[in-house]
Amino acid sequence: MAEVLTTDSMAAPYGIVAEFDTPAATMHAAEMIRDSGFKRWDVFTPYPVHGMDEAMGMRSSRVGWFSFIGGVTGYTTGMIMIWWMNAIDYPIVIGGKPMFSPMSAFPPSYELTILLGSFGALFGMLFMNRLPRLHHPLLKYGRFKQATHDKFFVVVETSDPKYSAVETRRLLESAGSKNIEVVEE
Amino acid sequence: MSSPTTTTELAPLDLSKWRKVPMILIVLGGIGSAVGAFSESTRLQFGYSWLQAFMFCLSFTMGGMFLTMAHHLFDASWSIPLRRINEHLSCLAPVMAVLFIPIALMAKSLYPWMTSNPAEDHALASKLPLLTMPMFYAIAVFCFVCWTVIAFGLRGASLRQDVTGGAAPTLRMRMISAIGIFVFALTFTLAAILWMKALMHEWFSTMYGVWYFAASTWITLITVYNIALILKRMGPLSEVMKEKQFYFQGSVFFAFTVFYAYVTFAQYFIIWNANMPEETFWYVLREKGSWWDISMLIIFGHFFVPFLALLRIDAKLTPWLMAFLAIWAWIMHFCDMSFNIMPVFHKEGFVLHWLDLTTLAFMVGVLATVFLKYFAAHPPYPLRDPRMAENLGVYLPPGPTGPSYISESGAH
Repeated sequence: MAEVLTTDSMAAPYGIVAEFDTPAATMHAAEMIRDSGFKRWDVFTPYPVHGMDEAMGMRSSRVGWFSFIGGVTGYTTGMIMIWWMNAIDYPIVIGGKPMFSPMSAFPPSYELTILLGSFGALFGMLFMNRLPRLHHPLLKYGRFKQATHDKFFVVVETSDPKYSAVETRRLLESAGSKNIEVVEE
Repeated sequence: MSSPTTTTELAPLDLSKWRKVPMILIVLGGIGSAVGAFSESTRLQFGYSWLQAFMFCLSFTMGGMFLTMAHHLFDASWSIPLRRINEHLSCLAPVMAVLFIPIALMAKSLYPWMTSNPAEDHALASKLPLLTMPMFYAIAVFCFVCWTVIAFGLRGASLRQDVTGGAAPTLRMRMISAIGIFVFALTFTLAAILWMKALMHEWFSTMYGVWYFAASTWITLITVYNIALILKRMGPLSEVMKEKQFYFQGSVFFAFTVFYAYVTFAQYFIIWNANMPEETFWYVLREKGSWWDISMLIIFGHFFVPFLALLRIDAKLTPWLMAFLAIWAWIMHFCDMSFNIMPVFHKEGFVLHWLDLTTLAFMVGVLATVFLKYFAAHPPYPLRDPRMAENLGVYLPPGPTGPSYISESGAH
C-alpha cells in the first residue's frame, strides 16, 4: 500500500478538475477563474453554452488568419500559374483572345482560393488545438466521460503560474463544485 | 465580438431636428424634376433619370418583400425584430406603381424597341410576344398588383398577430410566402427585363433578373441594418435588437456582397467566353469613355471594398463601419443602376446630371414619408410572434395544454 502511494505522489499532477451540475454554475465558476487571472485552464460541457467564450474571457479565434492567408495564397497561385503557363511557357492563340486574361483565369483561381482557404481553416484549427494527439491526461479520469453526457467540468492546469494546490481547490469549492479531483500527467 | 464600441453600447439618438428632411427632399426634388420634365431640352434626360431613380428605389420594395418571405420560408426567429421594417418597405409597392406613371407615359421615347419595326428588326421579332406595347403595360399592371397583394397580405397577417397572437397568422404568412416567392421570381425578372434590359432589346442575358435581385437585396440588407441601428438608439427596437440580430443581418449582407459579385461576374464571363457580337456589344459600349471607370468602380467598390471590410468577425458589429458601408452601398448601387441604364442615352460616358439627383431626392422623399407614416401607425416590431421568446433567448414554460401559442386564443 505504501508503495502505491509513493508511485502516486511521484507522478506529476496535470491539473485540478472541478465538476458542476448546471451550465449556470459552470459559467459562474468560469467567470471566477477568469477574474482570478488564470491563463492555462479550460471548460468542458456536453453542448455549446452561449456566452461561455465571454465568461472565459476568450479572445476572437485566430484561425481566421490561417484561412485568409490560405485564400490569398490560392488566388495569387492560380493567377500566376495560369499567366505563366498560357502567356509565357506555352502560348497558343485561341479565338483571337489575349494570351492572358484575368477573366478566364478567374474561375480556377477562385476555386484555389476556396481550396487553400478551407485547408488553412482546417489545418490552422488543428495546429492551434495541438491536434492530433493520441492521449490526454484527462481521459484517465473516470468521471470525465460525463462531460459528453450531463456534467460540466472546469480544469485548471498545474502549469498555470497562478496555480496553487490549496488555493485553487478552495476557489473551485467556493464556486460551488462538490467534486474536485487532481488528475495526473 | 466584444470590442469597445459594439452595437449594444450606443448613446440614445434624437432625430426630431431631421423630421423635415423628407419634405424638403420632396419639395426641392419635385421642383427640380418638374422643371426638367417640362423643358423641351431636358425632357429625355428627365425620363432616363426618372427611370434610374425608379429602379434604384424599387430595390428597397423588392428587397423588403424578399427578406420578409425568406424569413417565413426559413421559419427564422432571429429576424423577427427586423421583419416589420421589411414589411413596411415591401408595402411601398403601390407608391412605386404611382411613381411608374411617368415611365409609362414616356415609354415610347425611352425604349427604342417601341418605335422599331419587327418586320425589319430580327432581335425584336424573335421577342415579339413579350416586347409589344400591350404586353409592356399589361405586365406592369400585373407586377404591381402581385406585389401589392403579397406585401399587404403578409403585413396584414403580421399586424393581425399583434392583436390576436397565436400561430394562425404565422401559418398564413408562410402560405403566402410559399406561393409568393414563385410569383416574386417571375414578376421581378419580367420587371428587370422590360424596364431595364429592354433599353437595348437586341441584348439577352439569362442572369439579368438574378443580377437585379442580388443588387436589390444587397442594398436593402445594409439599409435595414442601419434603420434598425437608428431605431435601437431612438428606443423602439432597443429591447429586441441585440448583438445577435445585428451580427446575423451583417452576415447576410456580407453573403450578398459575394453573391452579387458572383452573379455579375458570371454574366460577364459567359458573354466574354462565348464572344458573340450580338451579346458582347452591350459590354463593348460600357467599356467606352468613362463607363470603363464606372465598371472598374463596380468591381472594386461594389465588391472588394465591402468584402474586405466585412471579412473580420467583429466588423459586422461595428456601427461606424456599417453606417459608412450603407452610404457607400447607396453610391455603388446608384453607379450600378447608371451603368445598366444610362449608356443607352449617354453613349460617350458617365454623366452626373442634376436631374439624376432631383428625381432621386423626390422619390426617396416620397418613399421615406410613406415609410415613416407606416412606422408611426403600427407597432415597431411583431409584438406577439410565437418565436419572439426564442429569438430573445427567453424560456417560456408551456401552459397546461401545451405551449400557449398553439391555440389561437391562448395568448390573450
